[in-house]
Amino acid sequence: MSSPEVLVIGGGPAGVSAALELARAGIDVTLCEQGPRLGGAIHRQPDDPTQSVRVPRSHKQRWQAMSDELAASTVKVLCRHMFAGIEATGAVLLEDRIHGRLVTRRPAALVLAMGAIERVAPVPGWHLPGVVTVGGLQVMMKSTGRAPDGDVLIAGSGPLLVALAAQMASLGNAPVAVLERSTRLMSVSVIASLLRAPAYLWEAAGYLLTLARSGILPRRGAFVTAIAPRDGRLSVTTLDRHGRERQMLVDRVALHDGLLPNSNGTMAGQHGPFIVRAGDCREVLGGTAALADGRLAAHAVLAQIGKAVRATKVPAAILARERQAQAALNTLFDYSGRDPAQLPDETIICRCEGRTLGQLRSMLSGDDPVSAREIKLNGRFGMGACQGRFCAEWVASFVASQRADGSPPQASEIVGSRWPVKPVPIAAFVTLPPSHPSE
Amino acid sequence: MAVVGAGIVGMSAAHFLSRAGWQVTVYDAGVVASGATGSADGAVSVASKKPGPLMTLAVAAVKFYEQLVATGILVDEYLPRSTFVVASDHEELAVLERHAGELEAAGVPIRMLKGAALMAVIGAAAPTAIAAAEVQREGHAVGYRVVERLRQLGGFAIRRNCRVSGFESSNGCITGVMTEQGTEPADAVLLATGIGSMHFLAESGLIRPRKGQLIVTDRAGADSPHFPGPLMSCRYLVSKGSQPADSAVASRSLGLVIDPLRTGQFLIGGSREDRDDRETADADVVATLLRDAVALSPSLAQLRIIRVFSGLRAATRDGMPIVGHVGGAENLWIATGFEGDGICLGPMIGRLCQQMICGESPEQDISALDAARFGLTLAAAA
Repeated sequence: MSSPEVLVIGGGPAGVSAALELARAGIDVTLCEQGPRLGGAIHRQPDDPTQSVRVPRSHKQRWQAMSDELAASTVKVLCRHMFAGIEATGAVLLEDRIHGRLVTRRPAALVLAMGAIERVAPVPGWHLPGVVTVGGLQVMMKSTGRAPDGDVLIAGSGPLLVALAAQMASLGNAPVAVLERSTRLMSVSVIASLLRAPAYLWEAAGYLLTLARSGILPRRGAFVTAIAPRDGRLSVTTLDRHGRERQMLVDRVALHDGLLPNSNGTMAGQHGPFIVRAGDCREVLGGTAALADGRLAAHAVLAQIGKAVRATKVPAAILARERQAQAALNTLFDYSGRDPAQLPDETIICRCEGRTLGQLRSMLSGDDPVSAREIKLNGRFGMGACQGRFCAEWVASFVASQRADGSPPQASEIVGSRWPVKPVPIAAFVTLPPSHPSE
Repeated sequence: MAVVGAGIVGMSAAHFLSRAGWQVTVYDAGVVASGATGSADGAVSVASKKPGPLMTLAVAAVKFYEQLVATGILVDEYLPRSTFVVASDHEELAVLERHAGELEAAGVPIRMLKGAALMAVIGAAAPTAIAAAEVQREGHAVGYRVVERLRQLGGFAIRRNCRVSGFESSNGCITGVMTEQGTEPADAVLLATGIGSMHFLAESGLIRPRKGQLIVTDRAGADSPHFPGPLMSCRYLVSKGSQPADSAVASRSLGLVIDPLRTGQFLIGGSREDRDDRETADADVVATLLRDAVALSPSLAQLRIIRVFSGLRAATRDGMPIVGHVGGAENLWIATGFEGDGICLGPMIGRLCQQMICGESPEQDISALDAARFGLTLAAAA
């Protein structure tokens, strides 16, 4: 009997770490990555190797070591293979983008290491062309090795804002401003917690130094209240911590309000493989934790398929340390976004279907307690291409804020839980060989 | 008046009963449109109906939708259009011609399209199509949107997540509805809860779930070929049992309808499977449907699928709905077993139920649907 196959989805640190740990135990592992190269968001490799973005040396060394071990391992790597979900009979669907076809696998276990979902809180105009996410812009920059052109405003909250700004400055186009919603300041206790994982402090210090040299410092307590098109550019209205309003004319706005684990699209089915999530996909703790979590995911798989697991407490200890550091770091930021009560009716909530806050408000205006399913079907929130992956949280939290009866809908009632996890071309789907003779 | 089931049949009945003076409460174990109504394709179509009483009722149901639009009840919720039944080989053409003849006999306007006329009218059809019957004067309505309109018009109460467990009776009359939240008085009851209706009846195995899987695409570009209306593969008639197949009926059959939605998306469906796992969709069925869809209309290959969903139809033993009075209680009525025809027939059946319950004679002949053909009676436990 051949040994059971394990499929790992996602070529970032968590996925690579899980694949390596499984291969070390003699397991037949296939690692699938939707993009052209491994690396994930954090270690995104440039399209042209001579055009790379400056990243902390520790990141570079870590990725080099993993790449070397992977090259020497038995792990089979499939790039340009997108995980499309698990269908009713338990088969894992992969869209092979090299050959434009859909393929199925029936692994004994599946490790999902697809990274975090980037969160952006709705503001009027966030759907306009030219408005992007901070993470998306950073990944694009790492791929092309070039800073985006034109005047760029970075806004929202989180450590990623400063990282992107510094990387842009190093590439010769510093952003026009960085607006950090939070007013919370570094305290002694936060520094004490971060000293246990000092890489964060060094990284932050490096970024802030680069920014200071470009004359850009984050404006704390400032945020975007509206974005509107003007003369082919974007007119952005901002408020500062003293309540002063300001207009800026820019080419691009990069928004970011934290990261969420990626729990969408896959339910453990009756017939499907054993599923374990790893890295930011399971809990957003960053790259160092992702390495440890990948190993833990591999151990869970080994235990499930009856293989001996080498006893070690190291990954769990790393995870605990990183969790504490992230918790300390998170106290410095404010991911709440704008209070929906402050947002005008025309604010788009569901960007795929162009559904507004006003439409959601009117659905909730009567006495009849309409359900999440009715809001989804009739309001079309979560019915578009993303199947609610980016709006379900906001719809659910807004409805909850309007409901005093203690029956708020859950985001899980709005977000799609069935395959395909992402849109799949029909041209790829029709290549799937029939498993039964055609009727 | 207690209506059990907040699908299109129950909500339509509630609408008309409340306007006839009843104080109506609709109970549902789930929410509004959470069963077949919420996962239907929305065809208000005569094209696929079995010749006989069902085809006659479907013709009347289309006219009833037109009336509901004219009287302002379903403005914007009903889109009149033709359905195109496409034959791709000579065997299918023979089925198509037989079916078109039967539709014409029922008073449905039909236009047969072949050759250049076929390609001119249905730009999106594959070159392999040899003929199509344009079934005129039918339309499309989204089940959950019809129900939402009726809810907004109001006039009756809705109890969501309130399962009816049984009835209180006295002297052969139901006097109350028992729910998890207590017993509430009722002077009359209409069961319109699909397969769940059987829970209250003494018979078993009369209604079976028939699963359907449907596919939703993303929006087509402006340059994509023209779809004048839904394209239906002639094979669908066979799979639905509207026309006899030459081979034995399998436990799973696939009939193809490609439905251009108002959003620019397409709905592609659907399967008919004798099973009840509505939470899942399988790649094999979806791939087969998509292969057939691309064969019927090659330009679909440029689109992507964004969602696959399934629903359960309530299929009766003889393929006909059950509408009428239930034995064992003087004031109990039923309207269920519409299989794939609920969206088409639902609003009219709601109206006919109201007339029946009010002691009026229904404006359509529904004797073929009478519950008495199965001798339905209230279960002792209910």
